[in-house]
Amino acid sequence: MIWLILLAMALITFINRYLFFAAVITYSPGPKVKLFLSYSSYSVLTAIWAPIIFSFDQQSHFQLAGLDYLLAAALAGLLSFYRVASIIVVLLSIALFFLIRFYL
Amino acid sequence: MTLICPQTSTSDNAPTSLTRQAILDTLPLSIAVIPWGILTGALAIEAGFSAIQAQLMSLIVFAGAAQLSGITLIAAGSSFISIFTSTVVISSRHLLYSITFRQHVEALPLRKRLLIGFLLTDEMFAVSEAHSKRSANFSAWFAIVSGLTFYFFWNLATLLGIFAGEYFAELDSLGLDFAIVATFIAMTFAELRRYPVLVAVLMSGFTAVLLKPILADSYIVLAALVGMFSAYFCSGSETISGQQASS
Repeated sequence: MIWLILLAMALITFINRYLFFAAVITYSPGPKVKLFLSYSSYSVLTAIWAPIIFSFDQQSHFQLAGLDYLLAAALAGLLSFYRVASIIVVLLSIALFFLIRFYL
Repeated sequence: MTLICPQTSTSDNAPTSLTRQAILDTLPLSIAVIPWGILTGALAIEAGFSAIQAQLMSLIVFAGAAQLSGITLIAAGSSFISIFTSTVVISSRHLLYSITFRQHVEALPLRKRLLIGFLLTDEMFAVSEAHSKRSANFSAWFAIVSGLTFYFFWNLATLLGIFAGEYFAELDSLGLDFAIVATFIAMTFAELRRYPVLVAVLMSGFTAVLLKPILADSYIVLAALVGMFSAYFCSGSETISGQQASS
């Protein structure tokens, strides 16, 4: 039973990933659709990280993550905005995060 | 950094520096996913999976959110239909990655397309897109190495969860998920001075925070679409080649 469910789930996730790579799908995006798709990474990445910082609880009360998350995310945002290399942004903001979390 | 339409890499050479870069770029996200992988392994055992089934799930399904939801539903004795519907909805955001990557991979041989398709996760998409924009060139090798790195960590974490889940109860409180925040901000904020990107970030972030409590399975793909449509309608003179049409 579990075997069957696992196989079906693997098939579903693979189809969703591979679908537009398949040669049988002949659709190719034009310039307008390409422009639309060029915003996909900014949108989807924000949709994943934003709820880690900002959220609503069961009673619909707005909640912010702790000071460690907020300050370190602010540092990451500021450094990235001024085009500091990604790896430096990630290392510095994670360092600040753990500094606040475990030493303050 | 201008947004130049990335060209598909036709050369098959794989310099070690590119391999190292792909592994390094994927590392923060791989570490961030460890608690989640451990949880997935441990919950699968609790739900009645054998160790082999639990590991096989990570080996062949390879999708964190879909696996966790699937395990929870199986444990609750839900119907096949609800398990598969939830898998379809949760993994539908990969359609977005698939169509975005199509232009880069359509010329590749079948086995490479199959492999990149199989390895196409949030993390691999994010890291490869960032690399394509940085180098104005999509590298299939970079995508495959990034995907395999993440695959290795995901399965290792699952294995830890299967055999030693009870020793990692405290892992949640470490705050490893901040690595996701840091990496994804680093990948998006450099372009925030482009008005459509600012709109995409604000609209998708706002929508995701609002929708998450009500639509736990589908909020990411819905919020992403809201962000993309808003950005597109505010794109004004922006074109895909990144050149602003002179007005």
